[in-house]
Amino acid sequence: MAPRNRQSTPATPSLGSTTQSTSTPSRPSKSTSRSNSANATVGEAQQIIQGVWNNYLERTPQRVKLIDTFLGFLVVVAVLQFVYCIIVGNYPFNAFLSGFSATVGQFVLTCSLRMQTNPENHAEFKSISDERAFADYVFGSLLLHFFCVNFIN
Amino acid sequence: MRWLFSFLLLWLSTIVTALSSSGNRLLVVLEESSEKDKYSQFWGDLESRGFKIHFDSPKTAELSLFHLGNRAYDHVLLLPPKSKAYGPALTPALLLDFMKAKGNILVGLSGSSAVPSGLVSLLLELDIQLPADRNSIVVDHFNHDSSASEEHDILLVSPPKTLRSDVKSYFGSKSGTKIAVPRAVGQVLGASSPLLLPILRASGTSYSTNPKEETVDDLFASGEQISLVSAHQARNSARLTVLGSTELLQDAWFGEKYGNREFSKQVSAWTFKELGVLKVGRLQHHLNEPAEKGRFNETAYPGSQLNPTIYRIKNDVTYTIELSEYTYDHYTPLTVPTTDALQLEFSMLSPFHRLNLKPISQTANSTLFSTSFTLPDQHGIFNFRVNYKRPFLTVVDEKREVTVRHFAHDEWPRSWRISGAWVWIAGIWITVAGWVAFVAVWLWSEPAKKVGAKKLQ
Repeated sequence: MAPRNRQSTPATPSLGSTTQSTSTPSRPSKSTSRSNSANATVGEAQQIIQGVWNNYLERTPQRVKLIDTFLGFLVVVAVLQFVYCIIVGNYPFNAFLSGFSATVGQFVLTCSLRMQTNPENHAEFKSISDERAFADYVFGSLLLHFFCVNFIN
Repeated sequence: MRWLFSFLLLWLSTIVTALSSSGNRLLVVLEESSEKDKYSQFWGDLESRGFKIHFDSPKTAELSLFHLGNRAYDHVLLLPPKSKAYGPALTPALLLDFMKAKGNILVGLSGSSAVPSGLVSLLLELDIQLPADRNSIVVDHFNHDSSASEEHDILLVSPPKTLRSDVKSYFGSKSGTKIAVPRAVGQVLGASSPLLLPILRASGTSYSTNPKEETVDDLFASGEQISLVSAHQARNSARLTVLGSTELLQDAWFGEKYGNREFSKQVSAWTFKELGVLKVGRLQHHLNEPAEKGRFNETAYPGSQLNPTIYRIKNDVTYTIELSEYTYDHYTPLTVPTTDALQLEFSMLSPFHRLNLKPISQTANSTLFSTSFTLPDQHGIFNFRVNYKRPFLTVVDEKREVTVRHFAHDEWPRSWRISGAWVWIAGIWITVAGWVAFVAVWLWSEPAKKVGAKKLQ
């Protein structure tokens, strides 16, 4: 959807102008890209990332963005735990496993919630309502928490 | 009058000043009763120490070491017979059975008569070798008594010193008067037997020879190789002493000039279990940890539960043993020599711990030895074993079996008590808190609009 949008927005002003005018601006742009190739590729990469990010911000629904913030938070907590493990060691190994798998398991469950409740995937998950998906998610998360607390003793 | 009666009783009890720790029935086997008078002082010494002596000839029909399956006597003294054998009641097999029944035997040999072949084979079985020539005696041309100026067969031997620095000596003498050993049959002790000990060795200038022969063709033994008085202590602590010369017990040599009287007292006391006898009194082991709170199965004071059958790995345990040593008529506290150690082994198949037991207290009759240690990190069936086998002391081998189990599932330390686990605990609870916040925000947020609704517009 995003590439289609990008092509449509410069296409709409070109519909009004003549074909000649459309070709002429393209040639100088091509020549400028060939002459400043290095700067242009870096600039293009930055533009692409910026475009993706803007598109994400505009297009994703609020609830999905909420899930994504929670996922980001889980990744941060997991990375912190892992860095600590690398530096200090994994002495009570069961403790390391349960702490790390709490974040990783929660990440997996939240991903599956995202998949099931994303409006764009509605076609694949017709039989599962959002509420049903959320109820499954809560049940799975509670099981995960119970396991982790039990495993760390 | 009552105090007079009790005083009389007390006075009577002091007459018996010594007593063997394993009974006082002594059988003396001598062939001719006329020989009895030659040893009168020796019998007097024995009787004054509380022995009831029964004299018998080996050919007596009623003589038997056993009666209805038990020992009829506690000790036997065999004097050398003029005939070739001891008779049917004293075969080597029966003498060995007597020792198996924990009876003690003092065997006298003499150079003036041939040693019975049964006795030679019995001693050979114990790895005490006698000279092949039946008429051999030990001769010393330099250290002999003046009364044997021609034959040189009366040896003058100084009393033995300690066998090893860490062994208590029972046969030494303060005065150092020499012991006269007339017409002795030398013995050679086998090197491989740990049960054999020489009590009196010949001096370096002596050798074993047949006095009728001029030259010595096959030297049996010479010098300190020859053991004049040898001791054998079996694994059940039964003692057999071989006196190379019975004549050293005779009255003729019990004068002031020689150390025979004291030596005979020491040898008979050691053989008949008046000296060098150890006794184990109290033996206990217990858990040395305080009671855990909140465990409803534990007794209030687990330390008071003595000798439990089951422990846990890495428990702190204390072991105590009480040992006494018997000296002539009473038990005294045992003192372990400073260069020696009484050790406790905590072993499964091989010792996991071997610890020195330290004396912690003394009673009037015994010493208490104790040590505390931590059980190893291995589960299984273990033994507390005190294995104390020393020269001239009876055997102490006490084993107590205990089970050592693993941690129970609720005995492991909880995660918050392990400081290394705090980070992971924090990780879990941060995740849970974040999840609760997420669920709260989700429930209050508006549902996502469907794509179909957009298309309609």
